Amino acid sequence: MDEHTLRYEKIDFLGEGQFATVYKARDVKTDKIVAVKKIKIGSRLEAQDGINRTALREIKLLQELQHVNLIGLLDVFGQKSNVSLVFDFMDTDLEIIVKDNNIVLTPANVKAYTIMTLKGLEYLHQNWILHRDLKPNNLLINREGILKIGDFGLAKAFGSPTRINTHQVVTRWYRSPELLFGARQYGTGVDMWAIGCILAELLLRVPFLPGESDLDQLSRIFQVFGTPNEEIWPGMKGLTDYVQFKQFPPQQLRHIFSAASDDLIQLLESLLAIYPPKRCDCTQALQMPYFSNKPAPTVGCKLPMPSNITRMEFEKPSLKRKLLENIDGGSLAKRLQF
Amino acid sequence: MDDQACPRCKTTKYRNPSLKLMVNVCGHALCESCVELLFLKGSGSCPDCNVPLRRSNFRVQLFEDPMVEKEIDIRKRVLKDYNKKEEDFATLREYNDYLEEIETIIYNLTNNIDIVATNKKIEQYKKDNKEIIMKNKAKIGREEIELEEILEIEKEMEELRRAELQRIEQEAKRQKIREKEALIDELMFAEGDAKDILNTFAQAKASKQEELLPPVPKITQFSTGVKFTRGSADQHIPIIEEGPLYRYEPPPVPDRCGPEPPTLNEIISNGFLQHVKRENETEKAGGYTSKLPCLRALQDAFSGLYHAS
Repeated sequence: MDEHTLRYEKIDFLGEGQFATVYKARDVKTDKIVAVKKIKIGSRLEAQDGINRTALREIKLLQELQHVNLIGLLDVFGQKSNVSLVFDFMDTDLEIIVKDNNIVLTPANVKAYTIMTLKGLEYLHQNWILHRDLKPNNLLINREGILKIGDFGLAKAFGSPTRINTHQVVTRWYRSPELLFGARQYGTGVDMWAIGCILAELLLRVPFLPGESDLDQLSRIFQVFGTPNEEIWPGMKGLTDYVQFKQFPPQQLRHIFSAASDDLIQLLESLLAIYPPKRCDCTQALQMPYFSNKPAPTVGCKLPMPSNITRMEFEKPSLKRKLLENIDGGSLAKRLQF
Repeated sequence: MDDQACPRCKTTKYRNPSLKLMVNVCGHALCESCVELLFLKGSGSCPDCNVPLRRSNFRVQLFEDPMVEKEIDIRKRVLKDYNKKEEDFATLREYNDYLEEIETIIYNLTNNIDIVATNKKIEQYKKDNKEIIMKNKAKIGREEIELEEILEIEKEMEELRRAELQRIEQEAKRQKIREKEALIDELMFAEGDAKDILNTFAQAKASKQEELLPPVPKITQFSTGVKFTRGSADQHIPIIEEGPLYRYEPPPVPDRCGPEPPTLNEIISNGFLQHVKRENETEKAGGYTSKLPCLRALQDAFSGLYHAS
């Protein structure tokens, strides 16, 4: 056990959440910068159930996943009653980039981010795992401009005919209509919808559907895409939490995303299809003309970075970034409560 | 103006020439000293209509009719939200109707007609047009900044021109004095006839005035020549880097350590789906399909078959 505590040399405190504390550390063995997430065991009452579920999910799933666009779990070690997870160190995330007014996002940048996200997600879905919490905040980016999907606290295997899932997943603004209607059996569509919302946010630079409540979220969705009927969405009325909505006429996405090219609109329409079986999956999405058309995606090292992150190999140790939310996601103020 | 009087203390402009009437949002006037007396605590109610008022909202009455002041207040408030422009409407008629509606609202509020209903209407409008209001507010803000910049530049130019003019005038004055002195010197020390000297100087002066070119017309700065100092212009537009175009490559097939499981298409064409529980309509509505567990079960079954310990 002791070798681990010696192996990771604490550099900086990055943040603290309900379930974990995150430190920036140097791996003495490889001289790499890593993020160490120390899971709190908490009171004895909590400890009775073993370690917390989100951490367990992350350990369980990430140990088997290896992809350049997924956050790498480098090591897990226990120390007394604590469990620590060692992750790749990521400099920033997509939320920070979207909100940074000094950054100009070109169509090529947007395409690069979307491709990297979809590639990671394709791998994830291929291995029968749904992420279930995709949002800009969970798309981590390092200084080489490589995007990695992080926070697997809500990820779960899918494709079981009998297992019932909870619909209370995904941060509300990125939650798909079938989840909002309380579907207990769903597929990759929930992640695809979130990708659509993130892509829209990259274009608009503000959240696309910032609902204030679950009902408001649905009404915002229908205000854009039109209220569905049994013809558009068969079986909709059978969903647990179905409610009748006011009839809204569908709007043209072209008018909302006036600067987007036609192939991009086509992709958005496919990602944000109201009827879940009609939504494309990652493989279909990546094969759409938008990605192969010009402009070519920006190469990683040329992607924009927030000004406080220098591209130099070694930076000052006092980089105060709150990485916790990115890795933990569990319980920070920024995370929406539902 | 002389019959202006404070409704509370009855002081008139005639008796107290320094009388200053103040108004607040309700449109009732009070003189300055009464305001100070009544609103010692910072807030209180109007002695006329009992509406609660804040002292900081009192302004000097500019118009004789306090109703006008009230209308100005209300108009300012209403127009803050009703800030659509002609471009926001499809036809001129719609725009005119919209302006008409604003006037009705302001009239109603000023004259206490249907206040509750009108306020409700404004709230509803605010809710319905939240985005456009925000957008236009930002636009107005930007326009104001631009206008200020233009004004500043114009002020600068004006100052420059004035300084130039002053310099020229002084120069002319000095020149005159110098000429006069030269003339007196000449008259004092020259031997010739005084009349001749006077004549030659007059001629020289006349010719010099001709020489003096008409002042070069000032190059006026057009208002569009605003110096670009704001953030948007500061940002350099990133150079578009041409990388290689994207081409789809399927992710590497995981090593299953077993025979290749059937693909989704094979599952469908070979009728595998007949042997699994079909999804019901509700499950399908949630985006679930029985193809998923079928595919997954087959993949699970095929993997690890070649594994030898």
